[in-house]
Amino acid sequence: MANIAAQRIKREFKEVIKSEEVAKCAIKVELVSDSYTELKGEIAGPPDTPYEGGNFVLEIKVPETYPFNPPKVRFLTKIWHPNISSVTGAICLDILKDQWAAAMTLRTVLLSLQALLSAAEPDDPQDAVVAKQYKDAPEMFRLTARHWTAAYAGGPYSNPDFDSKIRRLTDMGIESHDARVALSSFNWDLERATEQLFS
Amino acid sequence: MGYDLSRFQGLVDEELICPICSGVLEIPVQAPKCEHAFCRACIMEWLSRQATCPVDRIAISSNELQPVPRILKNLLAKLVISCEYAASGCTAIVKLEVLDSHVLDCEHNPRRPVLCDQGCGLVTPKDDLKDHNCVRELRSLIQTQQQQLTQLEEEVVDQSVSINEIRRELNYLKEFVRAMRSSHPAMRAIAEQFEKDEVKRWASTLPKAKVSRWGAMISTPDEVLQAMIKRSLSESGCPLHIMEDLMANCHERHWPTGLASLQTRQRQRREYDSYVCRRIPGKQAVLALACDNTHMSEEMMSEPGLVMIFALGIE
Repeated sequence: MANIAAQRIKREFKEVIKSEEVAKCAIKVELVSDSYTELKGEIAGPPDTPYEGGNFVLEIKVPETYPFNPPKVRFLTKIWHPNISSVTGAICLDILKDQWAAAMTLRTVLLSLQALLSAAEPDDPQDAVVAKQYKDAPEMFRLTARHWTAAYAGGPYSNPDFDSKIRRLTDMGIESHDARVALSSFNWDLERATEQLFS
Repeated sequence: MGYDLSRFQGLVDEELICPICSGVLEIPVQAPKCEHAFCRACIMEWLSRQATCPVDRIAISSNELQPVPRILKNLLAKLVISCEYAASGCTAIVKLEVLDSHVLDCEHNPRRPVLCDQGCGLVTPKDDLKDHNCVRELRSLIQTQQQQLTQLEEEVVDQSVSINEIRRELNYLKEFVRAMRSSHPAMRAIAEQFEKDEVKRWASTLPKAKVSRWGAMISTPDEVLQAMIKRSLSESGCPLHIMEDLMANCHERHWPTGLASLQTRQRQRREYDSYVCRRIPGKQAVLALACDNTHMSEEMMSEPGLVMIFALGIE
């Protein structure tokens, strides 16, 4: 790993650990390998959002050319959000692409992602299905996102209606995640979700 | 890239840290409007990818970068840093401003330049000294110089070809001017000045010569000798319009009265050393040009000048 990248990441790692956000449990970062090329980040779902109470784990890969190029970040925790792929966890955020600036750090990236959870950009979507729901059925989106937070990120709000619909499908031999994806995509219309799963 | 923060004694102010490499600023420069400071190498690398300030994204380009204020330089200069060869055993801790000169002399620096003690006179990095072979090094030095020499020689050939072309064109032009002069009286004055200047310019390219044996003068050179001298004159760039007249003046029958015969020549002998002479390249012959010898009396000089050929004694 290039010297400059290693030096930066070491310093940023310390910066995150010492930051007040860590004290408030809002963000966290851990080493995955000793070489500082791969890290694991964690952000708390912001209050007053469907992600509240959840903890979202991120994969952070630091390229050789860091900080001249942005780190490669994706969500490992499954999440229902217009700018994050519900399939791969890939993120659509300008500062992780062409708006990256060399003075940005792991800490600012994590805080930006947290801000993204508070303020989605449905007009610049990463997940078209989620973005459509966000715009057309905002309440349905909110409930779905909160359900995903409970299912994958340890969020506190369970939704008995959604849970029972999923159970109906799992009883038919469908994996619970596949069932959740299908139901979420069809605004929890059990009939259409079933149709799609068995077509 | 900046200096690793861990090499510094005490705390380093955040303002002295490069936002790109997170090291202490090395050769700092700043952005023009927002005045954010970076290591020169870091910001150049960044600007090669994106022409914005990495801190606030204001548009900047590399030629707009400015030196940082003196106060920032002074703060940096005063920082105390350990030698970069601390791991090899150097215990020196110096001010940042003298780090470079310390590193150059540091005995732990494996690349410290040292003089070869075998006598070849070359300076090599210390860690290369054990593999240093004077003969090989000098041989490669000779080789590179040889290449340079060949290259220069080729250039000289090219140059002389183009000079010859230019000279030929110049001659056409002169012919043209001469033709113009005869057809237009107003051109005459300009053309005469032009020709005078040309003679002076040519004369100044010929080295001054000293005649040590005036008695060795050949006052009646034969055709062959005259042809040889003429070729030399032509090669030296003698202006065409005086060439024939000059060559006529290489024989005593065209010389002025003061030189015209053996008797008069013997009489005027002590005046000879007053001539300003120029060497005709490669020949035992000199030119005494009228424009160089305005101090000589009329009976010792004629236009455009005299050619004097000798058996020997030209320096």
